[in-house]
Amino acid sequence: MRNWYETVDLNNPLVVSSRIRLARNIKGIPFPKRMNDSQKLEVLENIKNLLDGVSVEGVGNLKYINMDAVPDEELFAMVERHIISPDFAKKAGPKGLVISENESVSIMLLEEDHIRLQVISGGLKLSEAYEIAKKIEDILSGGLTLAFDNQLGYLTECPTNLGTGLRASLMLHLPILEGSGSLPSLADSVSKIGLTVRGMYGEGSRSHAALYQLSNQVTLGISEQAAIDNLSAIATQIVNKELNAREGLDKKILEDSVYRALGTLKYARLLTSEEMMSLLSSVKLGVSMGILENIDPALPITLLVEGQPYSLQKANGRMTPADRDVLRATLMRERL
Amino acid sequence: MMCDNCGKNPATTHLKTVVNGVVHENHLCSYCAANQGYGNIGKLSLTNMLASMFGESISSGKPISKRCECCGASFSDIAQSGRVGCSECYNTFRQELMPSLNRLHGKAVHIGNAPDEQKPEETVQDKIKKLKAQLSDAIKAEEFENAAKLRDEIRALEGEENNA
Ligand SMILES: [Zn+2]
Ligand SMILES: [Zn+2]
Repeated sequence: MRNWYETVDLNNPLVVSSRIRLARNIKGIPFPKRMNDSQKLEVLENIKNLLDGVSVEGVGNLKYINMDAVPDEELFAMVERHIISPDFAKKAGPKGLVISENESVSIMLLEEDHIRLQVISGGLKLSEAYEIAKKIEDILSGGLTLAFDNQLGYLTECPTNLGTGLRASLMLHLPILEGSGSLPSLADSVSKIGLTVRGMYGEGSRSHAALYQLSNQVTLGISEQAAIDNLSAIATQIVNKELNAREGLDKKILEDSVYRALGTLKYARLLTSEEMMSLLSSVKLGVSMGILENIDPALPITLLVEGQPYSLQKANGRMTPADRDVLRATLMRERL
Repeated sequence: MMCDNCGKNPATTHLKTVVNGVVHENHLCSYCAANQGYGNIGKLSLTNMLASMFGESISSGKPISKRCECCGASFSDIAQSGRVGCSECYNTFRQELMPSLNRLHGKAVHIGNAPDEQKPEETVQDKIKKLKAQLSDAIKAEEFENAAKLRDEIRALEGEENNA
């Protein structure tokens, strides 16, 4: 089974990934910020006993990793693959991770909450991802009492997550909407219906690869299914907007920019990650518009992840940014 | 206005505290205020203000420090950090937390999933509704033996409900 960034949903090539995250805590134990080390070790041990080596249908075997022992490069490479959060990578003290073979399931232990259960997959697969998350939650609640209140739902450290504790996200590729300056007004209008948009693989709200993550904000007073349905419906509308905008493009100009991007990726000797991302975004656009027929549709995003600084270092050892630029260019040349 | 404590100096520090819902006013001179631990008055009055906004009871001058039995957090720990100490805090400080939770989520109540063992108990009416659905399925499938059994169960439950 492949990772999310190695698969493409041919029916929805603009939806790069679907992610479900459930925030859960154990009843009667302080939230991580107020736990001492021996409490932390005990919680980690309990969850390890429940999940390590367990086989989950449609996922495979789960494995427990003691995160204290994992070197920084590997932690930040996991951030680049969207397996863990940056805060979790930086966090000191005992922490653990439960992960499946293809990394579609990753469970951060002792992040902000005791349990942050994530299921991520390529394409538009929110309902499937939620079903898997539910299965794993059932295993957890078989051995632990989860903190729950009839009025407030699942109890979390940050009151904004109360209720379902569910954050569902879709990562969308929106180069033409971005280029036409539509994203600020889009962000503004989705915020009025309880969703947020933020740029991925970039700085601030911008993305270097035209990848934007749409997530639900509301967790209390809405069911999981309704939250997922809302999000999918709005994402479909946004995707249709992007597709309509693509219809209006000048084919010659578009072809030129797609082939220029591919040419640079194929022949450059030095590539910064910013340049790589913006070129791969053009190549992905070219592939999904049928201009580049001989490129595996999943490849642009695969290379975008593998070309990130820590992921490069993880495969080749620690190096200077200049050496990384050389290696990144080599990686693109060999794979495209 | 003279100091409530010594009566000698003009009062420069004015404290409002709430004890069991009753507002008390204290007016102190700078000397007595410092003596009673109100030296850092700027910060403290803000805390008092916030705390009384959240409805915390504060005895004259010294806050009653109700603490969560599970994690040891006080309400001011939570109010200052915006982070709740543990799941029990939501019970311990429910009253104090509710105004800010309502500001965050409106008057919403959880309607999503629940852990199996913590699902609200099924009422007699819920059971009757479920059985009636099963009954109509059984009739459609022409499982008359099963349907008769279901009808008896429904009658028994309806009797139970009328007696209650
Ligand atoms: Zn939070
Ligand atoms: Zn507590």
